Amino acid sequence: MAKDMTLLWGTGSPPCWRVMIALEEKNLQGYNQKLLSFDKMEHKSQQVLDINPRGQLPTFKHGDNVINESYAVCFYLESQFKSQGTKLIPDGPAEQALMYQRMFEGLTFYEKLSAVVFYEWSVPEGERHESALKRNKEALVTELKLWEGYLQKLGSGSYLAGPSFTLADVVVFPTVGTVFGFGLSPERYPKLGEYYNLLKERPSVKASWPPHWLENPKDQDRLKDALKDI
Amino acid sequence: MAKDMTLLWGSGSPPCWRIMIVLEEKNLQGYNQKLLSFEKGEHKSKEVMEINPRGQLPAFKCGDVPLNESCAACFHLECKYKSQGTKLIPDCEDEKAQILQRVFEVNALTEKSSIVLYYNWIVPEGERHDSAVKRNKEALTAELKLWEGYLQKASSGFIVGKDFSLADVIVYPTVAYLFQNGLSEQRYPKLAEYYKGLMNRPSIKASWPPTWKNAPKQETLKDI
Repeated sequence: MAKDMTLLWGTGSPPCWRVMIALEEKNLQGYNQKLLSFDKMEHKSQQVLDINPRGQLPTFKHGDNVINESYAVCFYLESQFKSQGTKLIPDGPAEQALMYQRMFEGLTFYEKLSAVVFYEWSVPEGERHESALKRNKEALVTELKLWEGYLQKLGSGSYLAGPSFTLADVVVFPTVGTVFGFGLSPERYPKLGEYYNLLKERPSVKASWPPHWLENPKDQDRLKDALKDI
Repeated sequence: MAKDMTLLWGSGSPPCWRIMIVLEEKNLQGYNQKLLSFEKGEHKSKEVMEINPRGQLPAFKCGDVPLNESCAACFHLECKYKSQGTKLIPDCEDEKAQILQRVFEVNALTEKSSIVLYYNWIVPEGERHDSAVKRNKEALTAELKLWEGYLQKASSGFIVGKDFSLADVIVYPTVAYLFQNGLSEQRYPKLAEYYKGLMNRPSIKASWPPTWKNAPKQETLKDI
């Protein structure tokens, strides 16, 4: 049960947030958890490397099962705890298929977001270019417009795969939450804004809301409006 | 059934190949399919865009539902056709966890190999750096060593456990792609054993990229 689970996580990391939402939705509160610092390179510490040779967060253990990919954890929890908490994979084949499709598109969405907001963390100083960041922003805008379109088609009050909250929302909402955390304009992206407002009140989302988008207050201050003008 | 499915695909594309392997494993031969050319830009054609607004292959429809992300299609097909063909996700939760872990780790392998293979395609001339090329190669080497390690521990010729699973469906095309691009079999013997060991599995043989059959291998990765 929850007491046999351990999650090592970092603040402002959408992959970590996904796992925390899933744990809440499956009524698995009370899991052992430890907040580590990316800034202090604690994700590369021995305690992480012992469980996750990639030195990344989230790092998740349930008994002897070690799962370090956030999507894998979410699928695993839904499968193991199918009969408790929220049903996260719908039965209807069309809704299920749409859920899978959006989940995996969610990986692309997260990549495009990271390429902008985490640019400095993935590209060493001597290799950064304004032209690259500009191009990454344009790619993110294209991606955001796609998701606006998806939500437009489904209508107000809808979740990503239809009328119910599913794994698609578990894995994609953290990316949406983060884009607004970095100043995205809900006027320019009204459907995403509506979706954000709908989900930010959900208990599992509220309970796991990141303490900070970026650990270092100076970085946070400098980048808080990174997406305001896109 | 298979007749309600349509796959638009490109030869040598691991994501396309994954879907084709699953369709074979689940006895869904007879699906509608069309081979398109990346070189001719056919992935951006109207018929693709109608199924996949991203203009990417695979573009796959199961009845009316588009499933253009290869993993989405694979998961969905396994769920829908659970009782026919090969069982690709076992019931045992521990094995399932391992399979899920490997399935999602493939992203890292794909990203790290793509940035090496396609550096000049992805990065405009004014933004290229030797330091980046070097770092990307080192990252790919580290990634490949991880997978060598996983296969070292594997005992039956599959990436997880004793049976062919969804993890093999997702992993194998990417591994084959690396060898097609010149990865050294001497330097990565466990990966090479895995690659050769599954080559003749019916689903893999049936869906082997047609453009690879008579083409010489590329050499891009030979020094990794």
